[in-house]
Amino acid sequence: MKALVLTGGAGRHLVPFSVSRPKTMTVVAGGSLMRRTLTHLREAGVTDVTVVLGQNGDKVRATFNDGQDIGLSLAYVEQERPRGIADAILSARRRFNPGEYFILAYGDVVTSANPFHQALQSFNSFKGPIAGVCLPGPPTGRYGNVYLSGTRITKIVEKPTTKDLGNYVLAGLFVLPSETFSLLERFGDMEKVFGTLIESPSLNASIWEEGWMDVEYPWDVLAANRMVMDTWEQAEISRNAVVEGNVTLSGPVHVEAGSILKSGAVLAGPCYIGRNCYVGNNVLVRSYSSLGPGSMIGYGVELKNCVLFGNSKVGRLSFVGDSVIGENVDIGSGTMTINENLDQSRVLVDVLGETVDSGLAKLGAFIGDDVKIGAGNTLAVGTVLTPGTSLPHHATVGGGR
Amino acid sequence: MCGIAGVTSFHPIGDRLYEGVHHLEYRGYDSCGVAFLNHDHIEVRKDVGTVDEVNVKENLRHLASHVGIAHTRWATHGKVTRENAHPHQSCKGDFAVVHNGIIGNYRALRDELVKAGHRFRSETDTEIIAHLVEQRFTELGDVERAFIAALRGLQGSYALAMISTHDAERIYCARHESPLIIGVGSESNYVGSDFNAFIDYTKNTVILEDGEYSVVSKDSVSVKSVRTGDVVEKTITVIPWDSELSRKGGYPHYMLKEIHEQPQAVRSALSIDAEQIDGVADMMTAAHRVHLLGVGTTYYVALFGQYILAQLADMDVPAASSDEFRHLDKSDTHSLVLAISQSGETYDTVMSLRHAKARGAKTAAMVNVVGSSIARLVDRVILQGSGPEVCVVSTKAALVQMILLVRVAIELGTRRGVLSAAQRAEYEAALAALPGEIETILNEKSGLIRAAAYRHAHVTNWLFLGRGIYYPIALESALKMKEVTYVHAEGMPGGFLKHGTLSLVDNKLYTMVFVPPPSAAELHAMTMSSVEEVKARGGFVFGFNYDPAEDIFSDRVVLTSPHDLTAPFLPLVCAQLFAYFTATALKRNVDKPRSLAKSVTVA
Repeated sequence: MKALVLTGGAGRHLVPFSVSRPKTMTVVAGGSLMRRTLTHLREAGVTDVTVVLGQNGDKVRATFNDGQDIGLSLAYVEQERPRGIADAILSARRRFNPGEYFILAYGDVVTSANPFHQALQSFNSFKGPIAGVCLPGPPTGRYGNVYLSGTRITKIVEKPTTKDLGNYVLAGLFVLPSETFSLLERFGDMEKVFGTLIESPSLNASIWEEGWMDVEYPWDVLAANRMVMDTWEQAEISRNAVVEGNVTLSGPVHVEAGSILKSGAVLAGPCYIGRNCYVGNNVLVRSYSSLGPGSMIGYGVELKNCVLFGNSKVGRLSFVGDSVIGENVDIGSGTMTINENLDQSRVLVDVLGETVDSGLAKLGAFIGDDVKIGAGNTLAVGTVLTPGTSLPHHATVGGGR
Repeated sequence: MCGIAGVTSFHPIGDRLYEGVHHLEYRGYDSCGVAFLNHDHIEVRKDVGTVDEVNVKENLRHLASHVGIAHTRWATHGKVTRENAHPHQSCKGDFAVVHNGIIGNYRALRDELVKAGHRFRSETDTEIIAHLVEQRFTELGDVERAFIAALRGLQGSYALAMISTHDAERIYCARHESPLIIGVGSESNYVGSDFNAFIDYTKNTVILEDGEYSVVSKDSVSVKSVRTGDVVEKTITVIPWDSELSRKGGYPHYMLKEIHEQPQAVRSALSIDAEQIDGVADMMTAAHRVHLLGVGTTYYVALFGQYILAQLADMDVPAASSDEFRHLDKSDTHSLVLAISQSGETYDTVMSLRHAKARGAKTAAMVNVVGSSIARLVDRVILQGSGPEVCVVSTKAALVQMILLVRVAIELGTRRGVLSAAQRAEYEAALAALPGEIETILNEKSGLIRAAAYRHAHVTNWLFLGRGIYYPIALESALKMKEVTYVHAEGMPGGFLKHGTLSLVDNKLYTMVFVPPPSAAELHAMTMSSVEEVKARGGFVFGFNYDPAEDIFSDRVVLTSPHDLTAPFLPLVCAQLFAYFTATALKRNVDKPRSLAKSVTVA
């Protein structure tokens, strides 16, 4: 079966990362959401994948190319203007043959396990259209409500009027017949297409009970990172990593090839050290920290519950906690992210000019790609630094409250 | 209790034997194995683990054979080891046996066989059967005669299947107090503990009775009496279930599937012929004394029945747990024992029914599995028609049993003049509305219950409180919690708090309360006073309640108020979901909890 992966979602609320990369290139637990999706597809036996690119789509193409490294055959379709999901799906129409079923996946959701196995199993038992559904934690009213009778979907309420219902919602994963394209052309939106499929032949739910997240706000990256790392059961140290004497490892620590852990480093799993990282002497990497490839962590740094996308430097004697750091970031020595309010109240973050309650008592900074931070800085709780920002030495930055 | 499968066919059997035993895993899953005829000898592949795990090590699927038997074990005699896994072979390896049940006189038989020079490899009671048949074969020189002679020497309960190099075409099988059925296919015949072993291939079954044995070959099935050796005429029973129904479909677990099947299961229960309900009501009216019997979940169903019969029919019908009933049984020819069992094979219930029958009592039962031991044992049966229940933890079958008891109570209430025609119509309308109300819970409350279950998944001790008819609901809900999450949960009437349990209440012990709708004023007030008692001692109270304004709970899920008659069922469904989601949060083996099996066919 072929698959169609949509990556056009800009994820506006995912500041500051949405400025320079599509949401699907957000990194959790050492891999981008896109890499996780593509790997899951390959594991489920799918080899022919069409990817619809949107804004900053070149990042996806530059990372995955023809897909050979992952064992897939990838083709790209560019969406010329961001015109929504219907347009994105239609733009890939010529890649699919009449009469065949295909997988439709949103490239910007995170699951704790491979959802395609189960979707295909459901498809095999129903031999008809399938929609992956799940219960997304505390209800927010953000997703359409799905009504079921057995597994048969009886209706989908796209914009629920009350937010206090605990319905199943669409999980961004479908197995659909190719006639979806002509239905979509006729109706113009997926809601009506689903409405038609519900009537005839039928739309069956494949209920997903493992972890599932739609990463909307920057702090969701930390939650998704935790969700994935919580599935790790054992340590995995590459035979091509260097672990010097007097390094302490505990719990599921993953260390990839080419990395060096210098003497005195302490790593508490679950945590992830990507390829070719340098973890300096006496560095403390606390649990739920993820260091993307090429990260350089200087002497005596403490990292706690943070995600570094990769190729970033954290200078000596810094503390980075409850924070997300983009790519090619240079953090000067002695930089502190403050991660809680004095009165321990929930951290509020400025998202596109709007103050949003993160719901979290501990939250640090969100530092976009290519940011340079001078030495000796202090970043207040909930700080957001847009890509390319450059801070001089000793410049304290206020952020949220 | 264990699962047995066997296939004899003109075509290779590997896949069918493997699938057969795989579908029986809910009967037991600590070790498994297969034995098959490979040219002139029997080959055995077995080990500790689930069928999938053993398949990886031993390659159970790829057998170049046309006759084979398989087994999935739930240990009773002997530890969980490779040696103790079935199938077991005789000394020369020319007989291989799989067995479900307990051989009572196995020590005596073992001593006798050891004296005759047999050497044993395992600690199981099963292995003696293989040696015993081999011993009889050396004396008699004929496989069938040796098999009968061996069966006549066995005491206890058994369902067994055997293959032999001396008769390479056939499977020999027999049963006594443990279930075994035969599947009749085309160019293939099957043996199984139940229809799951072969439902993908045939729906035509022959049900063996106690004291019968069968010789199953590729194109024929003969059934004979162990005692007389005479041929027994059997009819073919067609299984009414579709194999697709007994698969997971779009669900991650059978437990969730079966919870979601409840609206449909209740609809089916409401459409069961009034004749079946009336028949049991006739017997209850005629009897001087009626006992409701069940064990585990079905005991709580029976207790629910006791309340509902008191409420609607003004009858005193005590519930008893069937594992204890024998010690209390004073039934006589004027008594009726009404038993409840999903599988219809529950050992304790079968024994209690036999005990009561021996004292002259009439018997009746509600069972889900057509052709099961209990269905055939009793004078009258209500087949609940809930479809296959695969998850070890019973959900839909138990709910349907409660619904059927309500129907019986309404019928008796009408006959006894307790219910007016108008009341009866009102109650029947309430029942008819129930499937839709359950569907609303599944659709609109699942997310809230899942979020709550994840919030409280760290809790290690729960009290489940209910009063009146909500008491059996609390008991059943607590059992679901224990079974599937391995978290301690204790069901209790609210009134017990003051008589000891309050001393346990602190901020670590969580309490779940099943609150009746405010329209059931007295019960509601009494339940709320229990809530206050726990709250006053700093306890955390989670409520399933009906009144949004009632905000004293530490956490709660508010339900929409239905009729008082059906109100207890909604929090029961919620509690099933709560247990399910807690189990997934704790990453438990939902469909096959440790140490449990679906139908308990041993003492």
